[in-house]
Amino acid sequence: MLESLLEFLIQGVVLGGLYALFAVGLSLIFGVLDVINVAHGEFFAIGGYLAFTAVVLLHLPGAMGIVGAAVGTFLLGLCVYPLLIAPLKRRLGGRPQGPLYLVLTLGLSTFLQSSLLAIAGGDYLRVPPQVSGVLDLGVTAVSSQRLLVLGVAALLLAALFVFLRFHPEGLAVRAVSQNPDAAQAMGINLPRVFALTLALGVALAGVGGALMAPLFNVYPAVGFPLTIKAFAITILGGMGNPAGALVASFVISIAESLSVMVMPSQWQNLIAFAVMIVMLLLRPRGLLGRAVSR
Amino acid sequence: MIRRAGVLSLAIAVGAALLPVLLPHPFALTITTQAAIWALLAASWDLLSGYTGQISFGHAGFFALGAYAAAAATKHADVSPWLGLLVGAAIAAAVGLLTGFPALRLRGHYLALVTLGLAEIIRLVAQNWLALTGGPFGIHDFRSFPGLPAAALAHRQATYLVIVAIVAASIAVMYFLCERTDAGRAFRAIREDEVLAQTLGIDTTRYKLLAFAVSSGFAGLAGGLYAYYVQLVSPSVASAATTSLVIGMAVFGGLGTLWGPALGALLLYGLYEGLRFVGVVYNLVAVGLVIMVFVIYVPRGLAGFRRSA
Repeated sequence: MLESLLEFLIQGVVLGGLYALFAVGLSLIFGVLDVINVAHGEFFAIGGYLAFTAVVLLHLPGAMGIVGAAVGTFLLGLCVYPLLIAPLKRRLGGRPQGPLYLVLTLGLSTFLQSSLLAIAGGDYLRVPPQVSGVLDLGVTAVSSQRLLVLGVAALLLAALFVFLRFHPEGLAVRAVSQNPDAAQAMGINLPRVFALTLALGVALAGVGGALMAPLFNVYPAVGFPLTIKAFAITILGGMGNPAGALVASFVISIAESLSVMVMPSQWQNLIAFAVMIVMLLLRPRGLLGRAVSR
Repeated sequence: MIRRAGVLSLAIAVGAALLPVLLPHPFALTITTQAAIWALLAASWDLLSGYTGQISFGHAGFFALGAYAAAAATKHADVSPWLGLLVGAAIAAAVGLLTGFPALRLRGHYLALVTLGLAEIIRLVAQNWLALTGGPFGIHDFRSFPGLPAAALAHRQATYLVIVAIVAASIAVMYFLCERTDAGRAFRAIREDEVLAQTLGIDTTRYKLLAFAVSSGFAGLAGGLYAYYVQLVSPSVASAATTSLVIGMAVFGGLGTLWGPALGALLLYGLYEGLRFVGVVYNLVAVGLVIMVFVIYVPRGLAGFRRSA
């Protein structure tokens, strides 16, 4: 009993690393741009395809797959603000946005997902793991690939939080997230911060895609279920609150893996949505959310 | 103006009624029948999201509820398909009403995400509740509308007429509700400014719940029609891709007009199926592009062209 508890706990923590990589970016983008990126999972998928291209097609080392995914999704992400978000923002002027950004990124999601299908086909592509071997922890064994996911996630998220806390660009991002008008009055270039934030956020998902490719296989729709789950996680953590998203990622992932002990595993995907709905009804601002209404 | 609209809708009705005779090809009839079902789903989404401003990202869920309820009722309890349609619509309306209560406290993003989560829960239940839903393989082998001619082509023609008539009547009911009653004015007032609507003495709670129930009920009816027509209901109908397609159709046609989304559904579904000849994968690429371009540059959709003309 205790052993299986520990085993599921460890698996939950490893899964939490992936969720965090995904949800922190989503939450950051929402906090700064006030846009829910429905296409976030497609950048996860693109990261996986870039890793596949680098490692399987070009025979580069596994690390290059991760770097390639990061750079590729970052560059793609840089285009999203100027090409899609900014034109809609200009048209709307000061009027309420309603659901339009959601619908816009939903369109982007459909577009990217079906473009992947058109380019790469619907087959499940296998990507060799970046590291091989298994770490024996006594109660359970964890594959090195999973530990790599957790390690890279921890490193990148630590770097992100240091960036947001100390680097001038990071401070600009936080300033915009708190008050865009005041930030602009202080001479911060808003379009630049918006484009950068979006690119950073989706690059985190892209790295996640490259890291998970050996575990999940790669196919066009691989990221979409994660997007939906990440919505639940960001709501639990408080929308637009990256630190909250980090905490919530581990809460959900651990709850999911422990749930296997009390209910059939095919139901574990329900947990995140049930938590989301309960949370929205009881405490819409999230675990760590500020008491502000948007 | 009213007379012109009357003549126009009469012409459309006659054209739609004659279509199976003019175009007696099984493929054409299949596409037009399915397009009509999508038109009903898109119009039902528009009533809630376009008219009332309550954004649902979960209409695939209500559609699937109607489809599963109708199919399961006929398969497991041998309920007549005519009654099955009502069962599907009633169950979807009831769940929609229940969703409406939490929705009273939520706006914009949050409501969209809750409804998305609800649809995902419905999809997971459909996939995992093997005894009732058949799991990943879905429900099949249940009977369709009784009393229609048995010959293959005549059967298709009759099914087309039945489905198009139900769809047209449903859209007419929604149009009447939105354009000719106090409820329609209340829906628009809630969309424009909910607080103001409240101060003007509009019972926003009641009208929001009404919009939820009516919209999800008609989405469920569309689901029932789909089930009896396609004769297979699988968990994928509840997927977010279905919702995405419906929202694309509504944006394409023009939000808040009912007829716009219905027209958008007919055209976009035609495009979607027509592009199958070019390549199956390109149709969704096109749908994604249409959504993005219309949201940014053509906010009033196809309906906007008529207004500005």
